[in-house]
Amino acid sequence: MMWYESAGRDNDVAVSSRVRLARNLTDYPFGSLLNDASAKEIIERVKNVFEGVGDYTFTDYSDLEEIERKAAVEKHKVSAEFASSKKPRALIESERKQVYIMTPEEDHIRIQSILAGFSLEEALSRAREADETIDGALNVAYNDKLGYLTHCPTNLGTGMRASVMLFLPALTISGGIRALSAQLGKIGLTIRGMSGEGSSADGCLYQVSNQITLGISEEEIVSKLSKITESIIEKERNLRQKIKSADNGRFEDRVMRSYGVMMYATMIDTNEMMRLYADVRLGAALGIIDGASLSELDKMMVRGMAANLTCENKEIKTPEERDRARAELIRRILSGAE
Amino acid sequence: MLCERCKKNEATVFYKETINGKTKSYSLCAECAAEAEKAGDIETPHMDAFFSSPSIGGIDSLFGSLFSVPHYAKRALSEGNAETKKCSLCGSAFGDLVKRGKVGCPKCYEVFADELDATIREIHGTTTHTGSAPKRFKHDRELKQKIKNLEAELKEAIKDENYERAAEIRDEVKALKEKEEN
Ligand SMILES: [Zn+2]
Ligand SMILES: [Zn+2]
Repeated sequence: MMWYESAGRDNDVAVSSRVRLARNLTDYPFGSLLNDASAKEIIERVKNVFEGVGDYTFTDYSDLEEIERKAAVEKHKVSAEFASSKKPRALIESERKQVYIMTPEEDHIRIQSILAGFSLEEALSRAREADETIDGALNVAYNDKLGYLTHCPTNLGTGMRASVMLFLPALTISGGIRALSAQLGKIGLTIRGMSGEGSSADGCLYQVSNQITLGISEEEIVSKLSKITESIIEKERNLRQKIKSADNGRFEDRVMRSYGVMMYATMIDTNEMMRLYADVRLGAALGIIDGASLSELDKMMVRGMAANLTCENKEIKTPEERDRARAELIRRILSGAE
Repeated sequence: MLCERCKKNEATVFYKETINGKTKSYSLCAECAAEAEKAGDIETPHMDAFFSSPSIGGIDSLFGSLFSVPHYAKRALSEGNAETKKCSLCGSAFGDLVKRGKVGCPKCYEVFADELDATIREIHGTTTHTGSAPKRFKHDRELKQKIKNLEAELKEAIKDENYERAAEIRDEVKALKEKEEN
């Protein structure tokens, strides 16, 4: 099971929660200086640690087809850097725990836990469990002053990045993101658009995460981020009500039009999907639409992305075929057939 | 419909608001809407601006200052010193770390501790870890914490002129520090 396949707490705003721990072994250079032989050694050592532990499985990413690797990025299972790397590398994952361990990435080991909705504490506890398994078996690079040692000094200390993916259409429309960004910066947090690269149709998805990793404990990071997330959620909800009541039915009309396109269009490209996703998700969150659940829409958004769609429909050759397959997938999900 | 301000672009932002019985309405293009918003003329959002997500500035600015070379390291670099001192595990000189923007290996953090200090402080505002530790360091950490707590208690005792208690604490700290040495 992955985050987009279940409904989590506060998922009208919080789509997913993630905790990542960066770890390195004492006797090797960091990621970018690692030669292939050392990378293979590290993979072997980490693989051995998880052999027979829970339901952990091992996938050699060096042999994996490009489309499969890209699909894993779209699911947030692995980083783009990891997917496109030319070095030997592997993913060790527990489907049950929703924990994904990349080795090696920029750091030798990157443990990630991603859960549906607003669930940072649980994500931390699952990532930690994997960390303890590693700690018991391997010498992890650490010094008493700087904490866990990492390739980039921005990750020193806890080596931890906690983040929540938030659906913020009302804050986006109101232009409140910029102010929020400035506020967060002052307290060591950041917000960034999910799609990056200035793409406009990004489904109003943002990631809020901690910037500082040193001089703050793991629990403090989670509690700080949680408190801020709660206040962003409240603000977003208030703005949504304001939009809903402020514009004489125009908003409802827009939501229903997008829903109509979703239900009946026969070709939908990625940009259009993301626009429809944002409209309909907001409509569903406000109870204007009851034919589509929030988690169905999240599932649609991930499985409708280019690489995932192509993985599921290997016969797709042209962009037109992909847009048709996407429209079909959306209809199937909305009708409850998927 | 054309934007009512510039009368050139297609209007994409529509907004209507009723305050104290007075209804204000706007039909603006995205650019004029942004201007109006900046000027404080309109405040509440509308669905039609949905697509234009604002670009968020300032996030990566932190990374721009990463590895700003501290003045003493600059001097070392210019004297060629930084090229001669090399990490025994990965072979990096401090100049390599600066060029790369990243540290070479765990050992580099020992070898270039002084050179990296300012950068780390600049990023995190501190250079002291307070989070969790691997098992093999945990005992050490707990001991250190105990000593720290006792030393704080000692200060209190002295302030309260409780010299008997202060002497006790001093002995405890001494014992713990000996334990730490071993
Ligand atoms: Zn205009
Ligand atoms: Zn080194």
